[in-house]
Amino acid sequence: MSGVARRRAGWLGAAFLLLLLAVLLSLAVGSRAMPPSTVWDALVHGGTSDDASVVRSLRVPRTVIGVLVGAALALAGTVLQGITRNPIAEPGILGISQGASLGVVCAIAFLGVHSPAGYVWYAFAGAGIAAVCIYAVASSGRGGASPVGLALAGAAMNAFLASVISAILTTDAHALDEFRFWDVGSISGRDASIAGQVWPFLLAGLLLVLAMARGLDALALGDDIARGLGRNVALLRATGALGATVLTGAAVAAAGPIAFTGLAVPHIARALVGPGHRLLLPMAALLGPVMLLLADVLGRVVVRPSEVPVAVMTALAGVPFLIVLVRRKTVAAA
Amino acid sequence: MTDSGITDGGRTAPSLRPAGHAVLRTGRGNSFLVHRRSVVVGCVLAVLLTAAVVASLSVGESFVSPGEVVRVLLGLPSPDQLVVGTLRLPRLVTGLLVGAAFGVSGALIQTMARNPLASPDVIGVTHGAGAATVAAMTFGLTSYAVLPYVSVAGGMLAALLVYVLAWRGGLAASRFVLVGIGISVALGSLTRLLVTKGDYLVAQQAKTWLTGSLNGRGYDQAAPLATVLLLLVPFLLWAARAQRNAAFDDDTATALGIRLGRVRLGLSVLGVVLASAATGAAGPVDFVALLAPQIARRLTRTPHPPLVCAALTGALIVVVADLLARKLLSPLELPVGVFTAFVGAPYLLWLIVRTRSGRIGGTA
Repeated sequence: MSGVARRRAGWLGAAFLLLLLAVLLSLAVGSRAMPPSTVWDALVHGGTSDDASVVRSLRVPRTVIGVLVGAALALAGTVLQGITRNPIAEPGILGISQGASLGVVCAIAFLGVHSPAGYVWYAFAGAGIAAVCIYAVASSGRGGASPVGLALAGAAMNAFLASVISAILTTDAHALDEFRFWDVGSISGRDASIAGQVWPFLLAGLLLVLAMARGLDALALGDDIARGLGRNVALLRATGALGATVLTGAAVAAAGPIAFTGLAVPHIARALVGPGHRLLLPMAALLGPVMLLLADVLGRVVVRPSEVPVAVMTALAGVPFLIVLVRRKTVAAA
Repeated sequence: MTDSGITDGGRTAPSLRPAGHAVLRTGRGNSFLVHRRSVVVGCVLAVLLTAAVVASLSVGESFVSPGEVVRVLLGLPSPDQLVVGTLRLPRLVTGLLVGAAFGVSGALIQTMARNPLASPDVIGVTHGAGAATVAAMTFGLTSYAVLPYVSVAGGMLAALLVYVLAWRGGLAASRFVLVGIGISVALGSLTRLLVTKGDYLVAQQAKTWLTGSLNGRGYDQAAPLATVLLLLVPFLLWAARAQRNAAFDDDTATALGIRLGRVRLGLSVLGVVLASAATGAAGPVDFVALLAPQIARRLTRTPHPPLVCAALTGALIVVVADLLARKLLSPLELPVGVFTAFVGAPYLLWLIVRTRSGRIGGTA
């Protein structure tokens, strides 16, 4: 094992430990203060005390969903950055999450779907349509859209979808009441069954994405070289987009639109394990939940006893990241 | 500056007067360059706007004939004085002012950034104004007489933040736009948080307001905006001249002795104030500031968006969009911002597709 490979394996191990720590924090910290031993007891022995039921029925599902959603968004962001060769690609910025939101709004307002578990299919449909539109814009320029072009296309898509959403919500007060709590992007108060509903989709997306790791590496070299290496570039992009869409749709269905996790995590992961996707993807899958859970824990603490939804925390943490990224010359020189 | 006619492919033009312009001289030796095509386009837009105004005042829960509307507007006695003059006119006046302010604001900021994609919506101004206003609403400040000022302050703060963060030994348009989008997202998420934490009625009010609506708007909102517009008139006259200078590239401007930094700063401050004031009056009516200047520029075929035509186009867009928003799903009234976004967002997408990767930093 070379020094570089060993160091990268070490980072993967460290990320795994970090994830464990984040999970423990997410289980232990909340508006209800309790000692770690109580948390441990509740997890291992069960029990019927208030503390035990808080841990088992509230914090465990929340943490599980946080892990799933964080991994899904980070993977989706990594793949989108890979297939667009664009450092600011991310499901939230590109409007794909907003598309999933519109799907959910339509389900609530017109189809009488009222359980988050039922949202999944509509979220997929919305995310898929938005992804296709963005892809059309991104692929129309030679060499793909520039960061500015893609970000603006995403902003336009976001605004358009938001106007459709508000047209529906303005005319339907009940839908607004149901939607506004989900819309804010949170992993609290979600039913444990959501995790059971969305994990097969997340797994499918994960497999799809991991299977194309080598293809993403080839794509990073440029379309011509990738083609020269015998890759079907169009098929690779389509597969990647499909994987990212499935992951985003499932994540949004479970937690609402959460931006910036998919933006920041791939960059951090790339700094640690390099640009090769066979290490980058697992690293992102480990760090995504870390970021989401830590943001969520922070959101529980800052305005105690109330809570800040995790999407607000990730946006506030992610925007400075975006700005640092933009201020680096390579991105801005578009 | 393809239109200037001073040099054309290395040849010297016969006259120093830019092509397509006439010179207007006043008695005291002052002279103004007037772009002939812009005057014609402006007159056509004014006629269309008048028609839209009459149509907008005619249509509502009850129909008033255009003849009666004109009688009311001329101040003649009319049985429809109450409906048209008291109920519909204040809302319409607000819409006109909001549209004009957004149109001019977009023209100034697009000239400043030398980029047709830059607009107050994109660079965080409207989101800043929105976040500030919703924050004020959730903290119990619901008076429409005070909210516009909160809004202006919020918009200016957001713009300042974007400006500072995007500054890196200069202000590249692409960086400006990307930072603006980032700040917009952050402010948007704060706004959503406030909507969620607030009680249901505030949430409903804020949500409607955030879409940009003229529902229930009248002279209370129009007055502060009109004041701002009037106060800015001298500066806008300066801006109309300065626009020409802002279009030069850095080297040419320096050679000509133009202080480009100051010109751009002036244009952007004006643009930000106008957009914030308009947002304060009607909420962030999406994409008017993006669309109006570009439509006006295409109609007049000038190198940069002309201010008067941009104002007229903006007002026309808002009045027509509001008319549609009121009547299309009648009796339900949609916020006017829904309609402008319906049209504006696909236009922005088209603009990006057409501009292609290499040229996005190009001139307006």
